[in-house]
Amino acid sequence: MKIKKILILALILALIPANYAFAHKVIIFAWVEEGMIYTESNFGSKRKAKDCAITVLNEKGMVIHQGQTDQEGNYSFKIPENLDSDLIVNLDAGIGHGAQWRIPKSELVKKPTTEDLQVAMKEKDVLEKGPSVFQIIGGIAIIFLLAFGAKFLKKRKKS
Amino acid sequence: MHISEGILSGPVLASGAALAMAGTAIGLKKIDYDRIVHVAILASAFFVASLIHVNIGPSSVHLILNGIVGLLLGFAAIPAILTALLLQSVLFQYGGLTTLGVNVVVMAFPAVLVHYLFLPLLGKSSILTFVGGFLAGMASIMLSSLLLGLALWFTDKNFFETSLTIITAHIPVMIIEGIVTGFCVSFLLKVYPEIIPKKKQ
Repeated sequence: MKIKKILILALILALIPANYAFAHKVIIFAWVEEGMIYTESNFGSKRKAKDCAITVLNEKGMVIHQGQTDQEGNYSFKIPENLDSDLIVNLDAGIGHGAQWRIPKSELVKKPTTEDLQVAMKEKDVLEKGPSVFQIIGGIAIIFLLAFGAKFLKKRKKS
Repeated sequence: MHISEGILSGPVLASGAALAMAGTAIGLKKIDYDRIVHVAILASAFFVASLIHVNIGPSSVHLILNGIVGLLLGFAAIPAILTALLLQSVLFQYGGLTTLGVNVVVMAFPAVLVHYLFLPLLGKSSILTFVGGFLAGMASIMLSSLLLGLALWFTDKNFFETSLTIITAHIPVMIIEGIVTGFCVSFLLKVYPEIIPKKKQ
């Protein structure tokens, strides 16, 4: 009876939030196209990071460019001239939320092909993907394994 | 409420990690291993709670449930929340590994405090039980917001302005968490009183 109660409780606590599965990670994705640097920022899935500060730095940490995302979480700017390092694009999404994306110098100087852009878009899709049911159940399983592992170790220590 | 990688300075990260380790050590010592299932259930609830999401301005907030975890587990909430945050970081990319210590301090320490503040209210009457749960849910978020503001203050931002922004942004979550925690403890007290530490004694 006790086990049944525990299982029902675990199921309620675990599954109610899963119905509202929204992601919450901060992502900035940047790519180069036709002399411009395009950025897309979001909190995972379709949740756009609106009106957030964008700061572009070189490898030495010097600020090269600053801007702000629009209502779709997008921001684009011309590739700065006389660049001699990779670019680091920082997103400040407020109250401790942020992300960064590094654009290698090699990407800034060469003209991207259609294949390069397709690869970049695939990479973006992977980043934006929310947690899967497998990950959620896997995480819960790990928590229970660790808990029972700790109990087992404690018992062994005692005996 | 998860602080991302690259936001905090080295000393803040190191202090957070040290405090989290100390708290985890105390928590592991204080866990009642006969009630380990409760710890796992509540850690799982915390692990999935962050998937419930509320849009606030340019940022976004989500349910945390540190109040109910702390209320029912006391010091054992620290290792429980540490485990859940670690898995959220690895599996969902929420927060980060370098900020894990600070995130544990921000979310788990207020949870322990609400255990000592509001646990005595549970079981006295149905209204007081709900009020105790509500206050635990609400206060844990408020205290976590203050700690978050403090962590960000050390990285050269204005403490009062930052804290006020964070607390304001989390007011809806405080109310939601208060209601959720209030109903949860009232329900648990009726159907599964063993999970309430006071009832067991």
